[in-house]
Amino acid sequence: MKNFDFALLGTRAVQYRLVIMLVAVAVFGGLSLDDFLTINTLQSVLDRATVVGFLALGLTPVLIAGQIDLSIGSMMSMAGITTIFMQPVIGNVPAAAAGVAVGILIGAVNALMVVVFKINSLVATLATLLIFASLALLLTNSYPLSSEDPIFGLPLTADFLWILTPRSAIFLTAAVLMFVWLKLTPTGRNLYAVGSDAPAATSSGINANGYIAASFVLSGFFAGLAGMMQSLSTAAGSPVAGAVMLIPAITAVVIGGTRLEGGRGSSLATLGGVLALGALTTALEYNGVPSYTQAIYTGLLLILLISLDRIVSGHGGASSRAQRSVRVAPRNTPLPRRNA
Amino acid sequence: MNQLVAPAKSLDKSKTPGALFSTLSIPIAILVLVVIGSIASPSFLTVNNLTNVLNANSAVGLIALGMTFVMVSGGLADLSVPANVAMGALVTLGAQESMGTGLAALMGLLVASMGGVVNGILIGYLRINPIIATLGTGSVLLGLSQLLVGGGIVYAQPSALSTFVKSSILGIPVFIWIFIFVALILHPLLARTSFGRWSLAVGGNYQAAQASAVPVRFTKAAAFAMTGFLAGLCGVLLALSNGQARPIIGTGYEFVAITAVVIGGTSVFGGNGSVLRTVGGVLITALIGNLIILLGFPSQATGLITGAIVLGAVGIDAYFRRKAGRL
Amino acid sequence: MIARRNILVASAAATLLFAVAGCTAADSGTDSASGDAGSVEGKSICYVTLANSHPYVTPANEGAQAAADAAGVELTIVSEEFSAQTGAEQLNSCVSRGVDGILLWPADENSYLPGLLKAEQAGIPVVAIDTRAGDESMELIQSFAGADKYDQGKISAQQLDGALDSTGGIVVIAGQAGNGTEIARSGGFLDELESMGSGLEILATVNADFDQQKALVASRDLITKFGDQIEGVYAQDDTMAKGFLQALEESGLDFVPVVVGINGEAGAFDNIREGKQFSTILQPPFRNGELAIETLISVMKGETVPEMVPLENTIVDIDNVDDLEPAL
Repeated sequence: MKNFDFALLGTRAVQYRLVIMLVAVAVFGGLSLDDFLTINTLQSVLDRATVVGFLALGLTPVLIAGQIDLSIGSMMSMAGITTIFMQPVIGNVPAAAAGVAVGILIGAVNALMVVVFKINSLVATLATLLIFASLALLLTNSYPLSSEDPIFGLPLTADFLWILTPRSAIFLTAAVLMFVWLKLTPTGRNLYAVGSDAPAATSSGINANGYIAASFVLSGFFAGLAGMMQSLSTAAGSPVAGAVMLIPAITAVVIGGTRLEGGRGSSLATLGGVLALGALTTALEYNGVPSYTQAIYTGLLLILLISLDRIVSGHGGASSRAQRSVRVAPRNTPLPRRNA
Repeated sequence: MNQLVAPAKSLDKSKTPGALFSTLSIPIAILVLVVIGSIASPSFLTVNNLTNVLNANSAVGLIALGMTFVMVSGGLADLSVPANVAMGALVTLGAQESMGTGLAALMGLLVASMGGVVNGILIGYLRINPIIATLGTGSVLLGLSQLLVGGGIVYAQPSALSTFVKSSILGIPVFIWIFIFVALILHPLLARTSFGRWSLAVGGNYQAAQASAVPVRFTKAAAFAMTGFLAGLCGVLLALSNGQARPIIGTGYEFVAITAVVIGGTSVFGGNGSVLRTVGGVLITALIGNLIILLGFPSQATGLITGAIVLGAVGIDAYFRRKAGRL
Repeated sequence: MIARRNILVASAAATLLFAVAGCTAADSGTDSASGDAGSVEGKSICYVTLANSHPYVTPANEGAQAAADAAGVELTIVSEEFSAQTGAEQLNSCVSRGVDGILLWPADENSYLPGLLKAEQAGIPVVAIDTRAGDESMELIQSFAGADKYDQGKISAQQLDGALDSTGGIVVIAGQAGNGTEIARSGGFLDELESMGSGLEILATVNADFDQQKALVASRDLITKFGDQIEGVYAQDDTMAKGFLQALEESGLDFVPVVVGINGEAGAFDNIREGKQFSTILQPPFRNGELAIETLISVMKGETVPEMVPLENTIVDIDNVDDLEPAL
């Protein structure tokens, strides 16, 4: 059937996709611009990637657990306006904590919907997306809130450590910590088990529902973090800040290689995806490529990567896995065994 | 492996509370909304207003009809809808001068359908996750539409077709007729034909359907192709009736369509659902939007109310399904 | 396993690439705005625009490009696509690139403050186009080139009040809530009504996001609810005015409210000729872009510029509609 060399080449291409992408972007950027391959640019790329990065990081455990969370944008907006609103009320740092807390709270609502009320995560988070986007507009009367203390958040995007800014440093640290948790701790490994086959995991004594609930709360935490950081960095809480972030976050996660089907994924992969996307966007932007053309490239890239992935790995039963991935509680009847 | 297919049928036939709720919930909801409306405003229960309500949602309703097939067959959702709407609209108006309105409209439908076909191939044949695939194709198509138009508004030439689209027959606007016409075709397609049974089977249990020699890949692909076509139709109609079009024309329509289908009771899991239910869902969504303005609520509250209703509807449905042992 | 190693390798490789290149590349911080009066040839401007694809913004962008080309200045256009948060990030990028001038189209009032502070620290002049930012932000901006949206709101109020003899019910069809243009056009309108002591009564305000279809849907419901109580309509742009007029025509009801719009679109000109729309306000986008870049270049040359470089607001009504050209 397939030429063996092509198959191997394809497989390697997919495995090393991130390396290839980053190198390609670096080459493209370096050739087309004379100030792309500089420390400044790298710092800028890392810094700008932070907000999407947090969202993508939060999305990763949810996807690994076989669920999906569409409400991250709305959670981010809510967290952002809370942070700014609370600043004069309880002080800058508590306000930031309050913002993150709001994210956790909404994440808990998602968890409730999915685990207790057994609502499909796609539908549940679509509903919370609508509800909280709406709520954000209502609470602020649709106007962005201005911070009473714009200087407070300024250091977040200042020079920190060589190529880092404080917020990108926090982001990178979070990515590494999540990696450690996912790959090196028993709870992390359990999450993969839950995502691969929830009923089987439950049979082996893992509290699948608990893990799934926790993943939504975690997603809320990171969305809260993203919203808090962004609102402090721009000294404004916008009720629509998160709306444009959902698609880039999903794109970054997918570019990184985490599957939407559950059971696979890695925070470092997500980190790579975030960086690749960020670098590509910056390179295109500096070249004055209009945003709609950027969208074409990003879309094509997404389709290409996912198609290659599918062709190369040849995973069968994707649709039933996708369906199964949105189920939650163990069923009464045993599911058919999936083949690798 | 002995999973039965299409649990919906058995659900409807049984007289469990869940089944009753399932069948009656839509008419009851509509009734409740109508009652609220008549109390809220004297102008609610007028022919004019009710016609408006139906008219306003007929175009988007077409998309919801297609989305029903997507969900029923386990395709989750089609997020490329805004792009197909935009393409349908822009191609129609863009080609109008050189091709004449009729041909231009057909071109618009063709381009949008091709978008749907690409989705179908990626999802049905390459087995790519529908969310990612449609996000990708949607990005590309929307970007293309903006590239083609270069940012401006495309204006329509006056034409017989656009006059027709804006007119009424027997007092009912053409938009509504078109919606009814499409619904009358699609409902039996899902409920009575082999293709409909295939769709339900594929969504209910892919492996079992495959084992029973159902053309699973084609069925899944067809749902997306259909939605692409209907989204394009929506775009063509809007372009002709508004007299102009911009790439943002379809923004948010995918969420409206998904919401209508879900409120109608079709499950995102796939395997059950009906076009008739979606029509009910479209009506409910339309009434909510209308009531919000008539009751003087801020328009931002639409998302809040719609989202709450979705959660309520799906939550209750899930509760009954669990009791019936289907979850 | 392999994936993990890959990431580390990839990140290390990329970082190394950047670092090595960075050491050998030219200093990215060009001497920005060193007060070098005179030639701006070869200098670079970063233009954070509202959108790449929009009926008003696109011609404005073209105007900016034309003015930049005429002066021999290199213009990079990045689009925030209506998101202030994106724009704020892009502003930061522009500053860290060390460009010689920045043109900014604020999508909201305050999100750019930190970026503007950085620009000031780096000595890069900033000019705002079309929409004002908040007061604190404006202090960091050298000049504003655009139509006075607040003034447009005022003019609209005067138009409606005059046409209706200061009595009657009106509806307001506003743009995207929270958007700077909407805030200004609403603010100017309401403040002027109050200071005139106008007898006009606002029956309802809806947000139609500067979109015709949304305006159409909202208008249908407004007409249902209020019918001929609607004696005047303030639509914050002509696209939305068109949506209202469409709804009115559909309803078949027989009353003609006074409709005022803004932007000077071709469709509106036709409607004015036919008596369906009362007036609009002309705001030429191409000129807006040109003016903004020209102002920025003046600043870069070290010249003093006024705080605001206005684009004239020209009222278009039945009297002068045939003498003027639509803006878009």
